[in-house]
Amino acid sequence: MIQKVTSPPSGKALNGMNEMDATEIRLFHFPENRLRMTISDQLSYVTVKPVWAAPLSHPDQFLSLLNGKGEEITTVSEVTSLSSDSERAVREELRRRYLTPAITSVEIARCEFGITYWTVQTDRGRRDFVTQSLQENAQWISERHLLLIDVDGNRFEIPNVADLDVRSREFIERIV
Amino acid sequence: MESEIRSADASTVVESTDDDVLIRLDSDFSEDGSYGTRTLTVTKSTISIVELSGVRSLFMPLSSVKSARNEPLVGGGRMEIATKSGEIVPVISYSLTLAAKFSEAARGIEQLAKGEELLIKLKEEKLRCEKCDRLLPERDGVCPACLHRGKTMLRIGQFLVPYRAQAISLAILSFATTVLSLAIPMVQGSLIDNVLRPQHNVTLLLKLMAVWLGILALSSILQVLNGRLIAFLAGHIAADLRSAVYRSIEFLQLTFFDKKQVGAIAARVTSDTDRVWGFLVEGVPFLLLNGLTILGVIGFLFWTNALLAACILVPVPIVIGIGAFFWKPMSQMFHRVSQKTARFHMHLNESLHGIRVVKAFAKEDLEFGKFRHRNHELRDAGVSVDTRWYTVFGAMTFFTSLGALIQWTVGGMMVVSGKLTLGEFWRVSAYLALVYGPLQWFSAVNQWFSRAMAGAERIFEVMDTESESYGQRGSHRDIVGEVEFTNVRFGYDKSNPVLKRITFTAKPGEMIGLVGKSGAGKSTTINLLCRFYEPDAGEIRIDGVDYRDIALQDLRGQIGIVLQEPFLFNGSIAENIAYGKPGAPFEEVIEAAKAANAHNFILAKPDGYDSMVGEKGSKLSGGERQRISIARAILHNPRILILDEATSSVDVETEKQIQEALGRLIQGRTTFAIAHRLSTLRNASRLIVLEKGEIAEIGTHEELMNKEGVFHALVQTQTAINEIVGIGAGS
Repeated sequence: MIQKVTSPPSGKALNGMNEMDATEIRLFHFPENRLRMTISDQLSYVTVKPVWAAPLSHPDQFLSLLNGKGEEITTVSEVTSLSSDSERAVREELRRRYLTPAITSVEIARCEFGITYWTVQTDRGRRDFVTQSLQENAQWISERHLLLIDVDGNRFEIPNVADLDVRSREFIERIV
Repeated sequence: MESEIRSADASTVVESTDDDVLIRLDSDFSEDGSYGTRTLTVTKSTISIVELSGVRSLFMPLSSVKSARNEPLVGGGRMEIATKSGEIVPVISYSLTLAAKFSEAARGIEQLAKGEELLIKLKEEKLRCEKCDRLLPERDGVCPACLHRGKTMLRIGQFLVPYRAQAISLAILSFATTVLSLAIPMVQGSLIDNVLRPQHNVTLLLKLMAVWLGILALSSILQVLNGRLIAFLAGHIAADLRSAVYRSIEFLQLTFFDKKQVGAIAARVTSDTDRVWGFLVEGVPFLLLNGLTILGVIGFLFWTNALLAACILVPVPIVIGIGAFFWKPMSQMFHRVSQKTARFHMHLNESLHGIRVVKAFAKEDLEFGKFRHRNHELRDAGVSVDTRWYTVFGAMTFFTSLGALIQWTVGGMMVVSGKLTLGEFWRVSAYLALVYGPLQWFSAVNQWFSRAMAGAERIFEVMDTESESYGQRGSHRDIVGEVEFTNVRFGYDKSNPVLKRITFTAKPGEMIGLVGKSGAGKSTTINLLCRFYEPDAGEIRIDGVDYRDIALQDLRGQIGIVLQEPFLFNGSIAENIAYGKPGAPFEEVIEAAKAANAHNFILAKPDGYDSMVGEKGSKLSGGERQRISIARAILHNPRILILDEATSSVDVETEKQIQEALGRLIQGRTTFAIAHRLSTLRNASRLIVLEKGEIAEIGTHEELMNKEGVFHALVQTQTAINEIVGIGAGS
């Protein structure tokens, strides 16, 4: 059956639309709790939602900026290529949207009764949590990058196990 | 968190207001995104956020609220309030631990803002154990560290009651076995002291040998009996436990199944029961017997020679210490190996299942790389656990043997100086092994016990959960088929109604089509009709009787369901057709299959009606499964029939056959049909159009099309989409 071609979105046009010069982008909060964006001082978006395209495998890269409806406006492949004000604004917003803490040290990790009790220091402060069946809930993203998921689905990231202190590493080594 | 609404005097400490606090909820993130506490407080007229310091950081009148919602964030969420002036105010962020409560709170705020009755339930949930302050693995669940062990033990013990004779015999037999095993060294000692001496006493030797032989024979017989009893008890208790759990699960309300995964429920039937009976049949005797033996032997040693006993028992604390210290890490390592093995199996399974894809992409090397990685992981884990094990075991052996060394040194000197006879020396050395052997394992018992108790708790939780109310059996009532919904309201989550104000009557023999977008409440209506759930408000009457007064078995016995993905049980085709009417004559089975247009394809199979359908019916095609499920419904002969997307997953030719079969099936029955493709409902007596849980329109296909309302719009969209969708369209 021959299909009517309605709108031919050619590949080039898509790329052109989605990857624009990062220096043309200006991100800022106005009012306080709303991230807005202007592009080349011509296009303006009143609500912008930043999401990481692949937060685990490509951290700090490929930041997708969505409009209020959740449709992508553009992708910024290197956040650092934004102007420093824009970068600060978007990082602020990201911190509000990504509540996944990074573990900086493991104070206690005890396996008892088939579950594991953790007390950790994170970049967001100290936290206690419980994990069940570590086979599923401790995921190695790469050789050294570990993700722990607690009984409620909260995620705790260890970006690089090798960066932890010896004691923390021993806990991880022994339990996970 | 700043906005125009933010109170100007943020520094003032909140005074207690006269308004009653209707919602109060603590979050676990502070304003700057780190962990901390902030409190959301809602009264009849205001919403406020108070920081841990007592500072009020947000305050807004409830009258300015248009709606409240929960924005999902990564690892948590944020409550946001849309104001009437069009502003969206982020109110408070929280982790996933509290997400359910905050979405409840948001609904509460909306209800209050609209001036409705506050319907939410903010139950105080325990996150930590009250006694030991440990976090609980399940909210409001049992703390594995602080179970009522005595009570649970007693309850487990009930499972022994039917077998008390066997249990008591087992205890007696075990005791006798132990005593006998203690007797042999006595004989040997006496042999050394009284026979192996310069004056040869052959008669005594023969006598002692006869005694020894007797003991041997008796203890062997006892051991055989013992083993048989254990096998009997283990088998029976395990089976009883599994039956009890399964039977309880069967009658649980569907809400229980909504919350838990099938795997987790199955685990309660298998692994949790295993833990319990394992402990009961093997753990308890192990503890009792070895405990008794050790105490007895130690007593005997001291009685024989206190000094020697004290000396040779010196390494005991060390052995216990090693056991206690290494047991946990060792068991964790063993656990890790078993996890790696499971992962290895999973990977192997997956790559074999996907072998076509692997070949098609020529990725054999890549897959082998992954395989090798897992394989090596498994190898390394195995090697490291064994290395550790043999090291610990070696140390254990050293200290255990130290006991013997001390015994030979101290005991040897005593024998030389005549303070100890050779026979006594021999007995001491034989008993020594009885102490040191089981001692190594005692540290494992606590963990064994804890696991069994946790398993038991989970089992009892299922048994204690409220089951469906089945009504009185035997009060059989023949249903004619009139179904009447009056002002029905229902929500899976009581505060969030999925159905509201549903009122309609289906006359006997009518076919009612349920139409609406996904999430409109079609399947929920069906679930209510089957009484998988009961309405929160309003009534459902069948033949004018509140359906809660009809025995559940009776009601469901007269309702038939044909689903989009029919579920067949592993068995023959004939068995599956006769599922709703076991023992139906074969003629009826064939009759039903013919009516369902299934007879011909069944005959084409080598084993005809005896063909096995495979697990979940996997050996049949989708259309075949569907027709068998229709035949099953025809034979079941229900008064009320439910067709849930019965024709959506098959090709056109098969669909024609199924439609034909359905046409025969619905004759004379009150039928409720859900169909995604609206054209298939053309023959329905009436259509009920649902929108956001409420009835938008009721009428015949023609009436609704002429009305050009919601239904008309749905049909238009569907027609439009059907024209566009096609593989490769738009390229």
